Amino acid sequence: MSSVAPAQRFVGQSVRRVEDARILTGRGRYIDDMQLPKMLHGVFVRSSIAHGRITGVEVDAARAMPGVVAIITAADLEGKVYPLSIQPEVPNVARPVFTALASDKVRYVGDPVALVIAESRYIAEDARDAVFVDYEPLVAVASIEHAEDSSRPNLFDDIDSNLLYSENRDFGDVEAAFAGARIVELTLRPQRVAHVPMECRGGIADYNAGSGDLVYYATTQSPHGLKLGLSGALAQPADQVRVITPDVGGAFGQKAGLQREDAALCAVSRILGRPVKWVEDRVENMTSASHARSEILEISAAVDEDGTIRGLDANMRLDVGAYPVLPFPPSFLGPIVRTMMTGPYHIPALRWANTVYATNKASYGTYRGPWAIETLAREALVDRIARELGLDPLDVRRRNVYTAEEQPTEMVTGPTIEGIRASEALERAAELAGEQEFRAAQTKAREEGRLIGLGYSSYIEPAPGPPNLFPSMESGLPPERAYARLEIDGHLTVTTAQAPHGQGHETTLAQVAATEMGIPLENVRIIHGDTQLTPFSVIGTGGSRAATMASGAALLATRSVKEKVLEIAGHIMEIAPSDLEIVDATVRPKGDPAGGMPLANVAGAAYFAAPPGEDAGLRSSSVMHEPPGGWSGGTHACQVEVDPLTGVVEITRYLVVEDCGDLINPAIVEGQIRGGIAQGIGIALLENALYDEEANFLAGTFMDYLVPTVMEVPRVEIEHLHGDALHEVNYRGVGEGGTIAAPPAVLNAVADALGGVEITTLPMTPERVLELIDG
Amino acid sequence: MSIEVTLTVNGVTRTASVEARRTLADFLREDLELTGTHLGCEHGVCGACTVTVNGASARSCLMLAVQADGADVRTIEGLLEPDGSLGVLQQACADSHAFQCGFCTPGFLMTATELLAENATPTEDDVREAISGNLCRCTGYESIVQAVMLAAERGA
Repeated sequence: MSSVAPAQRFVGQSVRRVEDARILTGRGRYIDDMQLPKMLHGVFVRSSIAHGRITGVEVDAARAMPGVVAIITAADLEGKVYPLSIQPEVPNVARPVFTALASDKVRYVGDPVALVIAESRYIAEDARDAVFVDYEPLVAVASIEHAEDSSRPNLFDDIDSNLLYSENRDFGDVEAAFAGARIVELTLRPQRVAHVPMECRGGIADYNAGSGDLVYYATTQSPHGLKLGLSGALAQPADQVRVITPDVGGAFGQKAGLQREDAALCAVSRILGRPVKWVEDRVENMTSASHARSEILEISAAVDEDGTIRGLDANMRLDVGAYPVLPFPPSFLGPIVRTMMTGPYHIPALRWANTVYATNKASYGTYRGPWAIETLAREALVDRIARELGLDPLDVRRRNVYTAEEQPTEMVTGPTIEGIRASEALERAAELAGEQEFRAAQTKAREEGRLIGLGYSSYIEPAPGPPNLFPSMESGLPPERAYARLEIDGHLTVTTAQAPHGQGHETTLAQVAATEMGIPLENVRIIHGDTQLTPFSVIGTGGSRAATMASGAALLATRSVKEKVLEIAGHIMEIAPSDLEIVDATVRPKGDPAGGMPLANVAGAAYFAAPPGEDAGLRSSSVMHEPPGGWSGGTHACQVEVDPLTGVVEITRYLVVEDCGDLINPAIVEGQIRGGIAQGIGIALLENALYDEEANFLAGTFMDYLVPTVMEVPRVEIEHLHGDALHEVNYRGVGEGGTIAAPPAVLNAVADALGGVEITTLPMTPERVLELIDG
Repeated sequence: MSIEVTLTVNGVTRTASVEARRTLADFLREDLELTGTHLGCEHGVCGACTVTVNGASARSCLMLAVQADGADVRTIEGLLEPDGSLGVLQQACADSHAFQCGFCTPGFLMTATELLAENATPTEDDVREAISGNLCRCTGYESIVQAVMLAAERGA
C-alpha cells in the first residue's frame, strides 16, 4: 500500500461505473437478449388452485398444435430429475421431498405442473392455454393459523404436520431480567412482500448430447450455488455443469439457489438435446417466484422505569410457503433473527422461540435484509416502551445503545460488538432531524388539525459481521476468494466470486485493484459470473459481503501478483524488490520518477522468458477471511405528514446517519442506501403480496402490487460517520441496511403523527391509516 | 396472418412481414435484434419497454408492430451521437450514477428523451412527474432525477 501515490488512489472517489458503458447504450446482455442456434422456448403450465390432487393432465390438443415440440410433465422427468430436498439433513428440521414439476399434488397457486416446449414463445403460450389439468381440490392452508390447525390437511404426505421446525433458546439470565420488571408487549404482523427485480427469472439450458456438457445461462445471483444444485438434481458431474450469468436485472435475494424451474428446464434440454429458453413474465414472477417477510413476531421487553431494557422475550412464527428454495432449510431464518434481535443495544437477556410452517403459498425466498423483522419489532417496541413509560423515544434509545467506551463487548447472542458508532449516529440523527424544533412545529400543526410525526430507527447490519457471527448461528460460510492475473500488456484481470446485478462490482473491485497495483483504472477488468472461471462461493452476491470480502480478496490477490512483478522486475533491473514501486503502470525505484520500466515490459519478459521468480504465470489466488468488526449501522430518521381526510402518508423528510467504514465509491454506496430505503418505504406503505383465505393469490400484476414510484420516494439525506479502522480492509456492506431500517422509521413516524397509536401491521395504506385515526 | 410493415427505427427504414399479434417490443427485440428495449411487466405498468413513436413515449409491450407502420420509432440504441459517443442524456446518467442493474434504463432514457424534447428547462418536479410512470427497483430514483436535470442543464 505504501507504494501507491495519492494521485492513483481510485478508492474513495465516485468514479464513473464501468457497467454504464453498456447499460446506457442498450448493449447490456440480459438473459432474454440471448438467442442460441436451434433454441426452443419453454412456458410452464401452472396450478390455478392452491391445494389439490392432480387427477389428470390433458396434453393431446396442445401437443398437436403446429410448432409445439413437447409437453413435459412430472412423469417425463422421473429418473431425469432426482427428488429435491434440503441437503444435507439438518437436525430437527422436517425435510419435504418434492419434484421439479408437481406430480401427485399441487401446493400453491402457480405450482409448475407441465412445461410446454415450442418453436416460439407465442406458440408455447398458445399451447399452454390448451393444456388442461384436472384437480381434486383439498382444503387450503392459507396462514400460520391454518397451519397450526391440525384439522387441515398436511402439505406433504411424508411429514405428519405443517410444522417444519421449532426452537426454544435462552440467552443470558432471562428469569432474573423479567423478575419484577415492567413488561411492555407488542405483536408485529408485517405482510408478505415480493422482491420484484425489474428483470423476471429465466434461463437458457444448453445440453450438448455429444459432449454430455450442460451449460445453463441463468439470471442468478449465485452461479456456483445453482451449479451445485443442478449437479445434484440432475446427477450431472460437476465438471459437466457450467453456469454462466449474463447481465442480471436485479435479484434482491429472489435469484438465489436452485429453483425448481431451473432443474426442469435443464432436464428438458438434456432430453431434447437442444437449447431451451424460459423467461417468465411479470404475472408468473409475482405468482410463482418467491416472496418474503410475513413473520408474526410477539415480543415483550422487561424494562426499568427509566427505560433500561433488561431483557427481551421474542416468539417468531414464520410461514415459508409450500416448497423450500434449495439449499435453504426451513430453519434458516431463525438463527439470524435470534442473533440480531438485541441489535445496537446492550440487552443482557433474550428468550427466543421460533416455529416454522408450511402453507399453500409461493416459496419464502431470502429478501434484502432477511432478518429485518428484528429491527422492525425492536424499534417499534422501543417507541412503545417510551409511550408506556412516558419517556422520549430518543432517551430510551440513548439509555440502551452501545457506547464507544463499552466496546469491544459481546451481544448476549454471541457476536462481538466492536467498532460500531451506534450512539454517535443516534445523536447526530437527532441533531440533523431538528428534534426540538420539530416537536414545537408538531404541537403547532396539531392545533391546526395537521398530523405530522417524526420517527427513528437504529440498527446494525452484519456486513459481513465479525468472525464469530456465523458460529453464533451454528453455521459457517466459506471465506471469499479471488484470482488476479497480470496480462501480457500490463493490464490486470481480477476474477471475483461475486455475481453482481446492479451493485457495480466491476467498478468498485477495479478501484481497489488498480489502487493496489498502481495502474490506471481502465487497465483493470473484473471477471464474474461463469463457474468455469470464477472461484467457488455458494452465495455469490448476497449478505452484504462484497464490500469487505470481495474487495479484500481482490486486494490480496492483486497484492500477491504485484509481489511477483516486483520480484521479476528486481531481477531485470538488478534492484531489491523492496526498493521498487509501481506508479502509473511503471515499475521504478522508489521516489525516482525518471527511472524504471513500463509494467508491460515486465509482464512481457515474464510471459516470454520465465525469469527467476516466475511461477506458472503472473497469477495468484487469494482468500479473504472475516476481519474483526464487520458491522455497518446507524440511525434513520423519518418525518411524515398524514392527511387526516384521506389517510395518505407523505414522507416529508428522510435522513440517514450511518457508518460503513471507508467508502470505495461514495456514489455507489449512496445508491445502495437510497435503493434499500425505497424498498423499505414500499414495505411500510404500499406493497402487499396478498392471499385470500383459500390461498388464492391476489397481487399478480403491478396494478395490484404497488412498487414505489418516484412520487413516493423522497430525497434521502445521507451523512457518513468515520472512525478508526479495525483492519486494513475497512469497507463494509450497505446493501441491506436501508430496507431493514426504513420500515420501522416510517412506522414510528406515522405512529407519532397519530398521537402514539400502536401499529402492528403493514403496509400502512390510506385505508389502514384511516382505521387507525378512527381508533 | 402476416402483414407487411415499413417503419423508421433509429433513422433506418425497415420493412418486415410480421404477425398481426406481434408486439412492437418483440418486433424490435427479436426481429430487428435491438435488445436494448426491455420487457419488465408486459402489462404496460413498469415502463421498461418505453420507446418513442413519432416523438411520443409509448409502451412497446402494449403496442403491436403493425400499429407502428409508417412511424418513426426511436429506441435506446438511437441515443448515441453520430460519432458513436454517448448522447448528452446518457453522459449525464453516467456522471450521476443514475442506474444500477440497468434493466429499467431504456424506459427511463426514452421517457426523459421525450420530456427534454418538449421542455428544455424542466424543474425537478417536472422531471419527477415525467418519470412517475417508470419503475426502478434499485436506485430510489434520486440519481435518475439528478441525471435528467443535469442533461437539461447541459442542453440535451
